[in-house]
Amino acid sequence: MPIAVETNVRERFEQLRTDWKEQSRYLSNSAQMAMLWPYQRIIGMGTNVVPLILAELQREADHWFWALEAITGENPVPAANAGQVDAAADAWLQWGREKGIIPANG
Amino acid sequence: MVEPFPRLSPDRCRRTSPPDVRYNCVAWAAGDTKHWWQPGVHWPVLSSRDDYGVGALEQAFLSLGYEPCSDESLEPGFEKVAIYGYGFFYTHAARQLPNGKWTSKLGKSEDIEHDSPEDVAGGVYGEVVQFVRRRRAAAGSG
Repeated sequence: MPIAVETNVRERFEQLRTDWKEQSRYLSNSAQMAMLWPYQRIIGMGTNVVPLILAELQREADHWFWALEAITGENPVPAANAGQVDAAADAWLQWGREKGIIPANG
Repeated sequence: MVEPFPRLSPDRCRRTSPPDVRYNCVAWAAGDTKHWWQPGVHWPVLSSRDDYGVGALEQAFLSLGYEPCSDESLEPGFEKVAIYGYGFFYTHAARQLPNGKWTSKLGKSEDIEHDSPEDVAGGVYGEVVQFVRRRRAAAGSG
């Protein structure tokens, strides 16, 4: 069964996500994007936020891979697909399905 | 928050693509629209994700056959790239077009053509810290 997320966690994530997307819009250096305060706050929310990041990744491709790897300690993206945003998103979504974090048909 | 592009005026730039998170300015300057170039993930030389400084970006372009050069002037037969830095970070790369204008992919946002490297400096990208150049491939050589 997919993991339920508390409403206050969801609301905090959505605000931080909005702030990060605005602040990172013109950035190309992934390390610089990851060092932005909203992104750091999201990483600091820990495993509670992983289902929300994966749902966000399903909704719209973006650079959530650094946060996912920092929180989970895993990297399911095959080396051959490194740097390919759509393929990296697919690999993380498949990882989430296999872990039961998001629905198998999601 | 830093004003993104304080020196960019509408009469000095033209939008040339829609936003796209799949490639960044480094990829665009190198002629690739299929990857997001990032040290330690997808980069032309051996690197780690801790290599986020200007030196990493300089090394990337040197590995692609570029050499340091002194300025942004149009030199027949050469393609130039401007490398930008802000604080510890490399921030941006812009590529010179054969007509002397410049092309930039603005992070996750759109591509633009702009009149000079200075147009996108002074804000989130900081300043130009290095120019590099290489010979343009001959037409028809692929």
